Amino acid sequence: MPDISTIIAGVLTLAILTFLYRDNPIYKMAESLLIGVSIGYTLVIVWSNTLMAILFTPLFGDGRWLLTIPLLLGLLMFSRFTPKFSKLSKIPIGLMIGSGAGIAIPTMLEQRTLKQMSATVSPLVLESGLPDLAAIVVLAGVICTLSYFYFSRERTGALGVASKAGTWFLMLFFGTTFGYTVMSRMSTFIGRMEFLLADFLRLTQ
Amino acid sequence: MKNFQSRHLVFLGLFVLIAVVMLIGGGSEVKVSPQTQKMYDFLDSLPRGSVVMVSFDHEASSLPEIRPIAEALLRHAYSRDQKLVGVALMAEGTLIGYRLMESTAREYDKNYGEDFVFLGFKPQYVAAILSMAESIEATFPEDYFGTPVGQLPLMEGVDNYQDVAAVMSIADGSFTTHWIEYGRIRHNLTVIAGVTAAMVTTYDPYLASGQLETMIGGLRGAAEYEQLIGVPGGGGRGMPAQTASHIYVLLMIVAGNVAWWMSRRKRDA
Amino acid sequence: MERRIALAVCFGFGIVMFLQYFSSLPEARRLQQAVAEYWQIVFAFALVVGIAGFVQANVKASKDSKERPYRIVSVVGFAAMPILALVWGLKAGSPFMWVFENIQVPMQSTVFALLAFFVASASYRGFRARSASATLLLVAAAIMLLSRSAVSEWLSSWLPDLADWIRNYPSMSARRAILVGIGLGSLTTSLRVILGVERTWLGGSR
Repeated sequence: MPDISTIIAGVLTLAILTFLYRDNPIYKMAESLLIGVSIGYTLVIVWSNTLMAILFTPLFGDGRWLLTIPLLLGLLMFSRFTPKFSKLSKIPIGLMIGSGAGIAIPTMLEQRTLKQMSATVSPLVLESGLPDLAAIVVLAGVICTLSYFYFSRERTGALGVASKAGTWFLMLFFGTTFGYTVMSRMSTFIGRMEFLLADFLRLTQ
Repeated sequence: MKNFQSRHLVFLGLFVLIAVVMLIGGGSEVKVSPQTQKMYDFLDSLPRGSVVMVSFDHEASSLPEIRPIAEALLRHAYSRDQKLVGVALMAEGTLIGYRLMESTAREYDKNYGEDFVFLGFKPQYVAAILSMAESIEATFPEDYFGTPVGQLPLMEGVDNYQDVAAVMSIADGSFTTHWIEYGRIRHNLTVIAGVTAAMVTTYDPYLASGQLETMIGGLRGAAEYEQLIGVPGGGGRGMPAQTASHIYVLLMIVAGNVAWWMSRRKRDA
Repeated sequence: MERRIALAVCFGFGIVMFLQYFSSLPEARRLQQAVAEYWQIVFAFALVVGIAGFVQANVKASKDSKERPYRIVSVVGFAAMPILALVWGLKAGSPFMWVFENIQVPMQSTVFALLAFFVASASYRGFRARSASATLLLVAAAIMLLSRSAVSEWLSSWLPDLADWIRNYPSMSARRAILVGIGLGSLTTSLRVILGVERTWLGGSR
């Protein structure tokens, strides 16, 4: 006989699976419980791991009074619940947006654009004198796919040919991604079935 | 059963197939891919006692797929006496990450504080990654249990990424991208990853450019890794069912196209 | 007035984070550390505000008698977690951890597992080889699915190699192009945000 924890987990798992037939009160009840518990969990983790650890303890325990700045900015976020002062909540949002945008500029340029382009541009001929098929395919694939997303000119001539080829490369990418996504979804279900059969129903080891 | 539709037949077929295959059980050896071998060789090449940061960047929803991957990698790291520093950039990864580290540590008689630590969760992943580049202790003044990080023996001399051999991102989304992009700004941090299969193609360009050192993906990747480390786990156990499900989906695609083509012929006739 | 202050804050922090990237001075690194810390704290408050909004929305929606039982369950589930954490803590074996491991994780992973069924159903009802490009997509998917199963070596010795080649070269190159495009787009959008040209985050009109 499985223990009470396993029984509860198993019953809730089956409650969620009832959705496969159709939406029903059992599923809705389980879903409501899930939403409430997961949000409560997030609150506890955020409070204990962040607000206590890097704000309240250093501010009130170690006397780092400069932390009143983010404390005040954070409290301003709550102004959105009052119609009269709700615009004040934009100020801390500005901090978050600005910080993210500021560091994103050099990072996107260096790590996502320049490094990727430099990896694309490599010798197309091997030392033996033979063409490097892989390098040619990669270079052609990147150029043709970028051509596909270029909409500032009519797709005629070389651009038309390149963008058509880009479609083929994209289909290969989407097909590959679809295959891997199917794998991923099936793996998650297999994991739940293993729990149901082995731990909950004790039908297998 | 008035709401029974054709899609329910497809659902039922999949459910019964997976259940039957899992009840029959069994498994077989799988061919190890070059990328999985590269991951194994990388962790093997690290000197014993190297500090590896393990970042649990995933949600609870992908745990059935993430667990075999994480367990295989953690087991290998522990067997090589690597010192593991666990962090989580997603709230749900916090408890899951701690449990995974602690349960696999017990298999290798590893002790908390000396062989592995778990620092907990920090929100706003970009800020957390940038902050740890300067000071891990400033980012995580306490571990998950509230112990000051300075009091943990493992963390002595581990100040920032320069003291970390690699960061291992266990992810079901794009967080590994952020480790690659923001973690490599100053310190050229080595990033390795264990990801769900759905994210594999997302990281292929980073693998090809060398920004991501190596990666294993999905249940198959976990099965291959378990074979390499010689410890069976969820990856190998799930392979028969995984194979059956793939064949089922392919049959559905073929059947759907045949049915569509036949109805088109009938309409044209 | 508040919008102007918010834009100024956005500009100020944006410029600081941009410029510190180019400096190795200890002061610049300390400044980055401080901004990152402030960012995390404010973000944590944003999460708390979102959670407060959830409670407010549920209390409001519970006035509808049909929704009331579900809303009550949601709010009770939400309230239980901090109470359990406060009374018994967060350590291994605590009731807080028990609820997470036996209620949240099983349900959350099962919700995600439902997608397996919908993918199978979509494979039957949706994926049609209507054109050459659609056929190419399906063939690539079939190669991937077969190559990552236990029967790949049994079917053909070159199937895994073909799958790896498709993934590592043509598929990867398309993904790389998308990545470069996203990178350039993010770069320009970030610049527009810092300079105040892009103001959608402020809400309302320009």
